[in-house]
Amino acid sequence: MYGGGNVFETMKATALGDEDPVKLAEFEARIDRGEKIEPTDWMPQLYRKQLIRMIEQHAHSEIIGALPEGTWITRAPGFKRKLALMAKVQDEVGHGQLLYSAAETLGKSRESMLDDLVSGKSKYSNIFNYPAFTWADSCFISWLVDAGAIVNQVANSKGSYGPYCRALERICAEESFHLKYGHHCVIHLATGTKKQREMMQAAVNRWWAPMMHFFGPSDKISVHSEILMRWKVKMASNDACRQQFLDMYVPKIWELGLTIPDDKLQKNPETGEWEFTEPDWDEFKRVINGDGPCNKERLAVRKIAEERGRWVRKALLAPKSKYVTPLA
Amino acid sequence: MALDSLDPRVNRLDISEDSLSTLVAKGNLDQFETYEAFVQVKDSKPFEHVGPVHAPNEEMAFLFAKEQYSRRGMFCNALCVIKTENIKASHFTDNGQDVYDTLHTEASGEEKESFELFHLMKRGKQHKYAGHVMARDYDDALAAAKTLYQGVKPVFNIWVVKSEDILSTDEEDRDIWETLKEKQYREAIDYRAQDKIKAFKEAQSAQA
Repeated sequence: MYGGGNVFETMKATALGDEDPVKLAEFEARIDRGEKIEPTDWMPQLYRKQLIRMIEQHAHSEIIGALPEGTWITRAPGFKRKLALMAKVQDEVGHGQLLYSAAETLGKSRESMLDDLVSGKSKYSNIFNYPAFTWADSCFISWLVDAGAIVNQVANSKGSYGPYCRALERICAEESFHLKYGHHCVIHLATGTKKQREMMQAAVNRWWAPMMHFFGPSDKISVHSEILMRWKVKMASNDACRQQFLDMYVPKIWELGLTIPDDKLQKNPETGEWEFTEPDWDEFKRVINGDGPCNKERLAVRKIAEERGRWVRKALLAPKSKYVTPLA
Repeated sequence: MALDSLDPRVNRLDISEDSLSTLVAKGNLDQFETYEAFVQVKDSKPFEHVGPVHAPNEEMAFLFAKEQYSRRGMFCNALCVIKTENIKASHFTDNGQDVYDTLHTEASGEEKESFELFHLMKRGKQHKYAGHVMARDYDDALAAAKTLYQGVKPVFNIWVVKSEDILSTDEEDRDIWETLKEKQYREAIDYRAQDKIKAFKEAQSAQA
């Protein structure tokens, strides 16, 4: 599970000036041929840096994303839902592991990524800074937040960096269970009693704004995203992902008799594009920068796990062993 | 002040805000070593690299790899882990060139130690088990493999491992995968709901 709207590093115009032009041309030719870049291949510094940042943010989103849903494991209605939610949360943490390893092949160690998460230096998907008040919130996350993540991940799995693509292929295969499970939960509530329907509708109302933020601000073609797209780091624009999500899921939400809290939301029959009220990007920025309802709690839980688990790690560490970066 | 959460488990942690300010960053390489995991899906298929795990020792690496790479799907036949440090990788070749064609040393013929080989047949894919040789050392194993395992299709990269450095499941361990079939709730197919949507829509239109 993961959000788009990656925070990429600001690029200097001269960033590519120092690269060897022959190697750069070979690198670009390889990508143009549709071949993957592997850890031992030459790559521009900028490519390495942006990929580390992107994969790292994705990994953090997986393990932080496990928290709002994990909240509901003990209170999920019935044994079957508990089992399924537990399996899903285990998957999310497993995805984190896969992604940290993929980022590690680019030269940043897993523990330093975790340090940067805890210190607030590196970000995770903004949507997990919102609380899951009821069971219906957890159902919304399982179905629709995962659906949004799949839109992003399927696009990125066709990118150019081998280890990231392979991790994403495994992840996408598992996400299909999350999506079906989440849809199943939402259908159950939406076709249930009046009280259940109200619960589900309230969750949709609460989560719609964060869901629209999920794909990130509109990214009109800039020099910045143009080069990342040419190198197949970024595979689809934030707007394209948001449109694809609306196209696939708004009809499925409506067919359950649920409403979406945006009167401007409609598909323009001429352009085929969805129209909607512009999301509040000031709120998005405010929450990403730390002032959301759950930012503090999410990081606190992560920190306490580090702190209270430290003795276990220490006891297990073999001080003489030599660390080697994963191979692929 | 203690952190106030909607999650009863978080409240039970009793996190006070000042206790959180003391966390010291870890050193860059203050972490577990990595192991590469390989899975065999069926008897007829070779072991294939699936990805790395971090672990403090080989046994833990095996357990993590089992959770990470075989908790899903109906079948798994066998699993093995190898410490990344113990895998010697050849260089990569390009443009359809076979990595074996770039090796020019003669095999010594000494049968001192047992080695296993993994081939990468396509860029972007993962290494697959190719075969076993007896040789003097890693380079000698590559040379010996050239006569035995160079085929028609080019190999782009080779991993060589000493057989003794591999921790693998045994034939009699097979029943550890038996539980996979019981975990239907982990599969998308267990969540069919079209009938419910259809019934709901019919009821709605009957009301209207």
